Amino acid sequence: MNEPDDTTLMEQCIKGNRQAFETLLVRYEKPVYNAAYRMLHSRDDARDVTQTVFLKVYENLDRYDPEYRFFSWIYRIALNESVNVLKKSNRLEPLNTEPESQTRGPEQQASSDEMSEGVQIALMAIKSDYRSVIVLKHYLGCSYSEISEILEVPEKTVKSRLYSARQLLKEQLDRNGTN
Amino acid sequence: MAIDEKFRELINADIDGEIQADEKAELEVFLAESEAGRALQEEIRELCATLDAEDLLDSPQHLRHVVMNSLSNPKPAAEPPGFFESLFAVPAMRYAATFAAGVVMTVAIVDSGQIQRGAFNDVTGLVGTISDADDMAPGIDSMVIHKSDVAGTVTLRNADPILIIDFDLSTKGPVDIVATFDDKTVWFNGFAQLESTGTNVSAGDGQIKVQVEGKRRYAVYLHNSESHNLLINIEFLSNGEAVHEAILEYQQD
Repeated sequence: MNEPDDTTLMEQCIKGNRQAFETLLVRYEKPVYNAAYRMLHSRDDARDVTQTVFLKVYENLDRYDPEYRFFSWIYRIALNESVNVLKKSNRLEPLNTEPESQTRGPEQQASSDEMSEGVQIALMAIKSDYRSVIVLKHYLGCSYSEISEILEVPEKTVKSRLYSARQLLKEQLDRNGTN
Repeated sequence: MAIDEKFRELINADIDGEIQADEKAELEVFLAESEAGRALQEEIRELCATLDAEDLLDSPQHLRHVVMNSLSNPKPAAEPPGFFESLFAVPAMRYAATFAAGVVMTVAIVDSGQIQRGAFNDVTGLVGTISDADDMAPGIDSMVIHKSDVAGTVTLRNADPILIIDFDLSTKGPVDIVATFDDKTVWFNGFAQLESTGTNVSAGDGQIKVQVEGKRRYAVYLHNSESHNLLINIEFLSNGEAVHEAILEYQQD
């Protein structure tokens, strides 16, 4: 049986159907958690942000604008909440995180876990605006038009921001010896 | 050689599959003539492949559980109630109605005075079963636990004169929960559980002990006939060691 789409589930949520909300929670907890983790590089903070995001969605069901797609609304809340956490912890500016070691052997470098951690360290070294587009494009699989809707910026801005973000990320990976 | 901004963006758009046919043709002409352009294309393609190859992390095991238990209660129905609806509109009755007959009998027995306050230490035989229902007495205080041994929520609900401690927890192994309070006029009034049996529960003056293992939903009833303000200390013990402690508070309006 086909699962109901987000719009249908949102309509049911607004009528007080908690089961519908749980279905949305099941559908979006993983992408929201991953977006928060990539923005914050902390599993604890990502968990807290994810909880906050879903509670905010539930508390603001009546403010949902059906003109927008549900995922763009929830992803926007997730990114905004993540940025709030960065602001509160004075981490809005990029971290000057150094790689654990510049002299790792080839076997160690080949480890996918280390590569993943290296990418995350490089991500944290670029500004949150740039990090957001990388997260939306590569971790959440959003198109340019979807990113434009989520970030509420023109598609042209998405293109140029994504290009700049990739350049900066590449430079950072080269600097850290991860790439 | 510096690459024009326009072609940089087109290279990105092409890799992302977001290029128009006329732009694609223009890009191909450019790339055929530009070694720097082709090198940039390769670099970006590699970077994107690295990023796209990253797996998504699994969200924490208890997250869904915690979110669902933190939601506020649904709005009450707008239509005027009938006789039975009026009866069950009394918070304590409404909450009791979410429990199957076993626990309702437990409450009835205690209320009727057949079991004296503090006169029993093992009430395991008195447990009932919670039925799944959305309509609960309002939460007045709650705690969220995120420990490696135990995670979930504990909510204190008021169904005057009954206070309900609603445990919604998952544990790795056996965890003992000890709820203590100083007010001796408040007494243990019943226990219920959702989809589980054989739980060890003991109660005495000012103290209730429950053992949790796995994913469990429990409710402990306290009779607070004089609606006293109450602090309930809740301690979680794993292998005899305290892993979490917090206080739930009831304050009369």
